[in-house]
Amino acid sequence: MAFSKLYDSAAAAVADIHDGATVLLGGVSGANAPTALVSALADRNLRDLTCVCDSTYYGAEALHRLVAAGCVSRIVSPAPFGPGSEDIVQNLWRSGDLTVEVVPWGTLAERMRSAGAGIGGVFLPVGIGTRFAEGKEIRVINGVECVFETPLRGDFALIRALRADSVGNLVYAGAQRGWNSAVVSAARVAIAEVDQVVEAGSIDPERVITPGIFVNRIARASSAPIG
Amino acid sequence: MTLDRLDAQSVARRASAEIVPGSVVAVGGGWSAAVADLVPAEKGVWFLRAGGTLSDLPINAVDAGAVLRGGNVDLSILTAAQVDSNGSIAGYHAADYPGPQGHAGLIDLAAGARRVVAVLPHTADDGSPNIVDTLALPPDGVRCVDTVVTDVAVLRVSEIGLTLTEVAPGWSAEDVRAMTAASISIAPVLREMGFAFPPGKSPSKVYADGPSAIADLPDGATVFIDGFGGPGGMAHHLLVSLRDRGSRALTIVSNTAGIARVVSFGTPPGRTAIDHSVLVENGQVAKAIASFPVSPSVSRPSEFELAYRRGEVDLELVPQGTLAERLRAGGAGIEAFYTPTGAGTLIAEGKESRVINGREHILEHGLRADFALIRAWKADTRGNLVYRGTSRNFNAVMAPAAQVTVVEVDEIVQPGELDPEAVVTPGIFVQRIVRRPDGFTGYE
Repeated sequence: MAFSKLYDSAAAAVADIHDGATVLLGGVSGANAPTALVSALADRNLRDLTCVCDSTYYGAEALHRLVAAGCVSRIVSPAPFGPGSEDIVQNLWRSGDLTVEVVPWGTLAERMRSAGAGIGGVFLPVGIGTRFAEGKEIRVINGVECVFETPLRGDFALIRALRADSVGNLVYAGAQRGWNSAVVSAARVAIAEVDQVVEAGSIDPERVITPGIFVNRIARASSAPIG
Repeated sequence: MTLDRLDAQSVARRASAEIVPGSVVAVGGGWSAAVADLVPAEKGVWFLRAGGTLSDLPINAVDAGAVLRGGNVDLSILTAAQVDSNGSIAGYHAADYPGPQGHAGLIDLAAGARRVVAVLPHTADDGSPNIVDTLALPPDGVRCVDTVVTDVAVLRVSEIGLTLTEVAPGWSAEDVRAMTAASISIAPVLREMGFAFPPGKSPSKVYADGPSAIADLPDGATVFIDGFGGPGGMAHHLLVSLRDRGSRALTIVSNTAGIARVVSFGTPPGRTAIDHSVLVENGQVAKAIASFPVSPSVSRPSEFELAYRRGEVDLELVPQGTLAERLRAGGAGIEAFYTPTGAGTLIAEGKESRVINGREHILEHGLRADFALIRAWKADTRGNLVYRGTSRNFNAVMAPAAQVTVVEVDEIVQPGELDPEAVVTPGIFVQRIVRRPDGFTGYE
């Protein structure tokens, strides 16, 4: 019998995430967010986590709980602060207890792809002349000014998908695919929170978006199924 | 008397009038977000949203960034906080987005598109001008905007700076100039802001047959040809069409340079498989960039191998994974990348090497082509593609990297008939669609 990737609970699936880990989040709100996994992580009361995510506001309750518990010392995101908001992320940043690193979203996604694809770094024609190119290697290639960007790797990825089979093949629901399928290959251990778990072979191979080789653990979502 | 400014919806409507039917448009947040809902469906416009959709297709964030950098976006419409007379923009007021670097949401939209239209209120809430000679805020894009749509005017950006071309109803050039902190020229014909969409519909991508779909493929072109080793996933009808057209001095980029004929997987007796050999033996190929250019059988050399031994063709050998990655880079706007594959081997000769995290890497460059000839199972008339099994092979990675991608399919269906979740290649990457003729096979 094949080794099962299905864990009994979100808590069991995140039990070995450790202080100082870099955690890639596939989403922070609604149906895009691995809410059960992030909540279970907040319960662990770890320290010094780095969280990588596309934003930190608009319904990011579980992430805010993680930040409020003092677990996170660094956030890497294109949009670490909400517009004019005075939320927990901004307050901790103001008090010096949290650092933020801002990365353009296409560059962030590509840096994680590089990590997942074994690429040593990429030259991207993005951010030239802005604060996001400062301090980085600039090179003109084929007449195009490019910024050198390095791979961004995670220790863990926490993602949300609609359905997994027991070997970890995933399908998503609509925009859920956006960041969840982008971060999954960039971490040493990827943990998927899903609404449905089905037998291996019961997802049409033509429709699998994330092959199971990228998914190490599966946990069931606590919220009601969507889609 | 106080002049009325346009509301956000009207500004979005004026910006949407910049959209050409059938084009690909990236939209940001704020005022620009409303644009997508204003364009009638029959205009066939594609809307990319950073959150992970391309019109009705879900796509991932990596692909969304790649679509922008890869030169596939005709127009970005984004909301700015300030625009200067060089067309540089700042997206955000520091008070809204504190921190050393603020917010990075606009960087990709500003850098990747062929054209950028900025929408913004002409002045800030405190009355200070948002159109300025030099940005006071940190730039999110440098010299990228060509058109500025505000709640009182339209300005075009060129080497001579800003030119006022349209004013809101009731406004004069002097009214606009008085609330602008940049020197502006006035267009010879100053118009009232217009809100009509450009006429016409999205042009059809469906061609009658292979010859008409490649009728403009020139001598000297670089052409991607899909396929793996055997006849599966190859655009046989397009290959024969290219042979009939006779374009010469081609550089072909492909996994093999034509071995389906000699490996003979399933070839019916008395017939030969159609592959790159039909071009090679017709004297049309000058060079191949390939990972497996020779026959696996010494006694049955391929046409390309024979031509290479005769000194008639050039060859660039590329490891298979590197070939796929170079194609992907070409389509994703990545000029070059470091890979550990091939370091220390003949493949590395003449290439820059660099030790990254203790491991030697070599620098490889993206590959682009004038044409890609690819094969899929079904297309809808928008060009969205689904494949069948392993025939997906190099097709999906080649499609975004060519100027003109021509696909040969078994079936053409109407928009909406393919499940958006199942589409593998979005139609923005496909320019021309041909149905494989009834009864046509991969053998002749």
